[in-house]
Amino acid sequence: MIFRTILLLLVVALHASSAQEGATRVIALRGRPQGSPRSIAIDSRLAADAALRVGDRVVIAAAPGEPGDTVVVAGVVQRRADPAEIARGEYRIRLHLGQLQALLGYGDRVDRFAVGTRSPAATTDAVARINATAFGFRAHRSADVAVETSKTFAVVSRFHRAIGVITIVASAIFLLCIMLLKVDERRRDVAALRLMGISAPTIVRSVVLEASAIAVLGSLVGVGVGLTASWIVNRHYQGVYRTPLRFSLVTGDIVLLAVALSLVLGIAAGWVAAMRLVRTPPLALFGR
Amino acid sequence: MIITLAFASLVRHRARTALAILGVAVSSAMLLDMVMLSSGMRESFRGLLLSQGFQLRIAPKGTLPFDTEATIRDADSLVALIRARPGVQAVSPVLGGQLHFPLGSGAVTAAALGVEPAVQGDYELVAGRNPTSANEIVANDALLRALGRTVGDTVRAAAGYDAQLRALSGERVLRVVGRVRFIYLALEQRAAALPIGTLRAMSGPELESRASVAMVRLRSGVDVERERAELERLLPRVTVISTTKALEQVDERLSYFRQLAVILGAVSLVVGFLLVTTLVTVSVNERIGEIAVMRAIGVRRWRIVAQIVLEAAAIMLVAAPLGLALGLVTARYLNSILARFPGLPERIDFFLFQPSAAWTALGLLAACGVLAGVYPSWRGASLPIATTMRQEAVG
Repeated sequence: MIFRTILLLLVVALHASSAQEGATRVIALRGRPQGSPRSIAIDSRLAADAALRVGDRVVIAAAPGEPGDTVVVAGVVQRRADPAEIARGEYRIRLHLGQLQALLGYGDRVDRFAVGTRSPAATTDAVARINATAFGFRAHRSADVAVETSKTFAVVSRFHRAIGVITIVASAIFLLCIMLLKVDERRRDVAALRLMGISAPTIVRSVVLEASAIAVLGSLVGVGVGLTASWIVNRHYQGVYRTPLRFSLVTGDIVLLAVALSLVLGIAAGWVAAMRLVRTPPLALFGR
Repeated sequence: MIITLAFASLVRHRARTALAILGVAVSSAMLLDMVMLSSGMRESFRGLLLSQGFQLRIAPKGTLPFDTEATIRDADSLVALIRARPGVQAVSPVLGGQLHFPLGSGAVTAAALGVEPAVQGDYELVAGRNPTSANEIVANDALLRALGRTVGDTVRAAAGYDAQLRALSGERVLRVVGRVRFIYLALEQRAAALPIGTLRAMSGPELESRASVAMVRLRSGVDVERERAELERLLPRVTVISTTKALEQVDERLSYFRQLAVILGAVSLVVGFLLVTTLVTVSVNERIGEIAVMRAIGVRRWRIVAQIVLEAAAIMLVAAPLGLALGLVTARYLNSILARFPGLPERIDFFLFQPSAAWTALGLLAACGVLAGVYPSWRGASLPIATTMRQEAVG
């Protein structure tokens, strides 16, 4: 059974099994027959950087220069897509609990237990009973732990939302300005239409319709740009942080929000610009 | 004349000009924020590292200070060896740990730093004094509040629990002699500092003569990087980190924010540029007849170009102060969001205002303004005079 992941400082003295097997010193571990090294699992990042493969033998020690244990790489594991780990560049290995305790001189101690319960009520009961009787440690619900550990991402999420609001404000002004210019550019056409007897509401409707069409087309292009940008962001950061984590997600809700927002803004901007235009006398639009 | 004409052209369409200025102001606010974000975090961290004058940090091999629970063995001899070097002015060993303060039926747990009070660089004294004897401790407000204690009170503290004996281990009665603010810890984090020897003794033989990190202050004039390399060569069991190296690590870990700043800054600049270019192009299209007449009466081409470029630059430059002010307000708001990162030292600012950031943003905006005017001005000034005038006259 593979237990905890040890972080950081296990210094891995690497010995490629085929070339240097003779140089590795096989140390019998407690309770194990000599010549039968324990197995470990390493993460794919370490495997790639150290050119390790399943079956290779390595020596692991708790600190540089200390005698270590020879172990066999039994598996290469892919890290979970855990946002909490992306900025940490450390390698990880997974080994048997007893072996790690022996290696670190940790005694019969663990950092934490995970306890499975049968129901939410059983969880409440277990937490209360453990905390009432335990000495030196506390029980926490997984949900509470998740809330605590995800605080960083809640902050990042709030930051992104704030940046998003600023972007929307800038986009709205940009859109309004462009629509104003676009409608303004057609003032002579509008003047001619008015002089021909076309009513102001009809002109407003036609301008708003045009604005809607532009907004729809712009939104579709925007969704395409967004999907492409999202793909580039994911490819880039997955490469930088060497993680399967997806950094950018374009969900249906996000697309819906973006399209709705751009439609509303586009139509509003078109309406404002059209109203300005129809309120101006046709001859003034002609510059007379 | 150029200025008068440019001004007249801008005020002719007030709503349009106002919207353009508003749009550019929002873009420049975002640009300033992103310039502040890209450099502020780094400078803020640099200031934090150098605030106590320690240029080097010594951590267990392969780690960053307090990034892991690893400690340095035989730290006392290592510190003595470093202190003996001629370029070294002071060495401050620090041992990190936890203290448990029994309170009622439970206990309050706090981060503990074992330090040499005379040379420590981890906290600033707010009230009281530094510990001078073994059983004295200083604590921050968060811990004192949790304990309901103040300077002069005594507290019971233990370094651990012995689960088999169901008893606190390494228990002592300590006198609180100072109220402090920890420099590298978050404001809300409960923490205390006590003599390193006391914390070692309380923690038991496992931590005897160990330190988590040692900070080194060099004499003035000493080459920091050379001393770092020399110490690393002399001490193979440790990693010696200079401020430059630490900043490289920070850059690596927080590259996301830097890249975000570069991307959003570039997008803001492009949006501002497009807005002004569009506006000026439409404005030029509307008055090509006027431009042709000006050319016909002898106004030189470069004057036309200068007038149109001036219009574009004016929009940018009028919007810039507005944008910079808006940027400072939004930066403060965004910084208040990021300041809630768990464990972030109080003094770290993601958005740090520096005059250079404002000048950079202003310079980029001015350059963008000039560039935004180049295409429309070139187009306007290159129109054939006779043909344009005829087309305008006929309509």
